[in-house]
Amino acid sequence: MKQALFLAWQSLWWHRGRSLIIVLSLAITIWLPVTVHLMLNQFRAELIARAEATPLIVGARGSRIDLALHALYFESAPPAEITMAEVNLVTDSNLGIGIPLHVRFRTQPVAGVIGAAIVGTSPEYFEFRKLTIKSGESMTLLGECVVGARIAEAMKLKPGDSILSAPRNAFNLAGDYPLKMNVTGILEHSYSPDDDVVFTDIQTSWVIEGIGHGHQEINSQTDSNLLLNSEDSQTITANAGVLPFTEITSENIDSFHFHGDPESFPLTAMIVVPNDEKSRVRILGRFASNQSASQCLKPLEVVNDLLSIVFRVEQLVWVCSLAAGIVTLILISLVLALSMRLREAEMQTMFRLGCSRSTIAMLQASEILLTMLLAACLAAVACWITVVLAGDSLRQLLF
Amino acid sequence: MISINQLQFAYAGGQFSLQIPELHLESGRSAVIVGPSGSGKTTLLHLIAGILPVTVGEITVGETAVHRLNDAERRLFRLRNIGLVFQDFQLIDYLSVFDNILLPCRIHPSVTPTTSLRNRAQLLMESSGIAPLKNRSVTRLSQGERQRVAICRALLLSPGLILADEPTGNLDPSNSTRIVDLLTAESSRSGATLVMVTHDHSLLPKFDRTVPFEPFLQRVSSTAVSSGVGP
Repeated sequence: MKQALFLAWQSLWWHRGRSLIIVLSLAITIWLPVTVHLMLNQFRAELIARAEATPLIVGARGSRIDLALHALYFESAPPAEITMAEVNLVTDSNLGIGIPLHVRFRTQPVAGVIGAAIVGTSPEYFEFRKLTIKSGESMTLLGECVVGARIAEAMKLKPGDSILSAPRNAFNLAGDYPLKMNVTGILEHSYSPDDDVVFTDIQTSWVIEGIGHGHQEINSQTDSNLLLNSEDSQTITANAGVLPFTEITSENIDSFHFHGDPESFPLTAMIVVPNDEKSRVRILGRFASNQSASQCLKPLEVVNDLLSIVFRVEQLVWVCSLAAGIVTLILISLVLALSMRLREAEMQTMFRLGCSRSTIAMLQASEILLTMLLAACLAAVACWITVVLAGDSLRQLLF
Repeated sequence: MISINQLQFAYAGGQFSLQIPELHLESGRSAVIVGPSGSGKTTLLHLIAGILPVTVGEITVGETAVHRLNDAERRLFRLRNIGLVFQDFQLIDYLSVFDNILLPCRIHPSVTPTTSLRNRAQLLMESSGIAPLKNRSVTRLSQGERQRVAICRALLLSPGLILADEPTGNLDPSNSTRIVDLLTAESSRSGATLVMVTHDHSLLPKFDRTVPFEPFLQRVSSTAVSSGVGP
């Protein structure tokens, strides 16, 4: 066998142009379906793991898939919102913990890296997801944030740096202003979507939205150009000339305040961690009412629905790959048949020298075996590179 | 010793019939078969080597009755006992000079290219003057160089019988003499029987015996009794 492999290798090397084409064709035929299968498996496993780790999600009524993907992956913000009252409802019921999520803003690009989602939440989120600080410390004051490991590496951020939020609309002068947030810590790698976002306190995200703000003190001594009405000494109304602070510092933090009822402040979603199974059922029941403007869903169910769609796409890819594979094999068989005909003289020499039929068959089989082995190795390397390098791209493509 | 008795052979639809009532070639001696081109000399060598099956008559090489062997046995017999030099060299394009010479041991069921065989291949190359071409592709050799590679290949396993089919057919007189000297010297040194086919009468004095082929030839086509086989 060793001698047959030697001769087969010599033959492949001598006809290297033809061999390369056959090996590449076979490798591509193997690579495509295997890579798709591996990547979808990885994608499926990640999706299910995160969904399984998230008991319940509450959000505005609408697409269940959009809401689940938003709460799990911070993508595709739902068009409608819920309020802080929903969190209080869960917490006050003593049925579980409500973890608010407010994900409507992104940071401004840093170091050529596209802005990351800013996730406004409560400290319970870090405990729930078992996120720990790698360097620096957790956020404690308004205007502070901690950064996910991967985005911190990409943006070259470290504790003590600052990062700006990006306004949703540059022409909305009365709306959200960019807020300069102080980075207090960098999270450990969790190999989840939490690595790709910037976390801040829910109140800071409301400040970014413009619900809360800080500005210079307004009183009777304030420049009259900044006031709308100062005739009544009891009530002083500032005009738009009074600009909100765009950075929260120890000097101005006391001036920050919120307008309106805190229960009405918006959230894009809420994660609910029930105390037990009975509590889970009761929470589901509360949100199942038709009168409720919110919906409560079980992420695993939604993800399974999503995966059934992905599975159909995978089947389509398999069918296409199978068809391509059959065509490739037919073409390669033709090439090999022609090659055997071209090598008839060589086989005749082998026969005349006394080579047995089995040895001649082994010589030919060795060449095919080597070709397939090379193609399989090349396909395996290509699969590995694709899965490692393009796994994130596939997730972004699918969302 | 090679013994041929009552051998008859003709290709289906062929122009000649080979009929050899009796022919004996002594062991360890060199013999040259002479005859015009296309007269069936190559066919006779192929019958002796078992490349073509014998259907009428008997051929015995040493103790082996070649006519009684089946295809697999004839192949093994050929590989173990006979060194073949073909008129058209029949070298493998994708192998170097050295690897072409080592080819018989690469296709042999029980011999592998050991160090001693490699050394022998090296010695054969040196004695035939192609040692500097060791790693060169055989596609880049002259006709004379290619023929010398083919002879080295035939001599590698020190066969008891060397069958050379017009090995000088494409060579100039100087190279022809060199090739024949190499064959006779090697066969004499190893005690092998050498049977060479040629139509070049100038080479006859270099052999122990000359066998004229004309008496074995009949220009008829109705007596076809067998046909050749392939791999």
